[in-house]
Amino acid sequence: MITFNCTIQEGIVPEDLRPRLASELARISTGFVGGNPDEVSVNWIEIPHGFGFRGGRLSTTSAVRGEIPPGLQQETRVELMQSIQDMWMDLTGCTTDELVVSARDRRDG
Amino acid sequence: MPHYRCFIPQDALSFDQRQEIALAFTDIHCGSTGAPRSFVSVTFLETPEGQTHEHGVGYYLDGGNRAGRSEEVKQQLLSDLTQAFARVANVAPEDIPGRITENPASWTMEGGFVLPEPGEEGPEWYAAAEAAAAAD
Repeated sequence: MITFNCTIQEGIVPEDLRPRLASELARISTGFVGGNPDEVSVNWIEIPHGFGFRGGRLSTTSAVRGEIPPGLQQETRVELMQSIQDMWMDLTGCTTDELVVSARDRRDG
Repeated sequence: MPHYRCFIPQDALSFDQRQEIALAFTDIHCGSTGAPRSFVSVTFLETPEGQTHEHGVGYYLDGGNRAGRSEEVKQQLLSDLTQAFARVANVAPEDIPGRITENPASWTMEGGFVLPEPGEEGPEWYAAAEAAAAAD
């Protein structure tokens, strides 16, 4: 099971773009770790304006935090994160400095 | 990373208070670890009255950092953050439970780079962080 928790700032990622982003996250992640794209879970957490900060200033950063099955080689993990970053920047128009991507081993239990 | 999530009761803190806490957390974290300021994220999550959040009720400080620092550094960091949070929110530090969890730096890409392990930050990483901050 692969899960993504996407924390976005209000007004930064249009709502009508989110299904496409979720679909791409499912496609990319299962391409690297296997599994069925239909079983990838993508959750959205929208932070209201004035509730998210970075460096003490209002944030425009999106955080895409993936939980993947344990054991992925680091080289492959980096390729996965890079692919997600490239896709997200392409679809949203954000810069590298407005995006955090992680691919963490899932902790069972 | 780091990312500090502050669970707060609905309407408990004004924008100015939230910003003051975010600035204080940035100062404390960077003073303790040497991390670039632009990497410190602070998010406030309100819980409506009568509802619970993932850690229970009321205030809670949930931090996520890179693994590799000593237990002493982690505990001091959590204590300093809690004190600042409590001071600005005008509540007792004991009323703000919290934790700092850690993950390997290599599991996160930020600013276009895989994060270095604590203590292994090279000059190119700091230069990139400074460039990002200057571009804001």
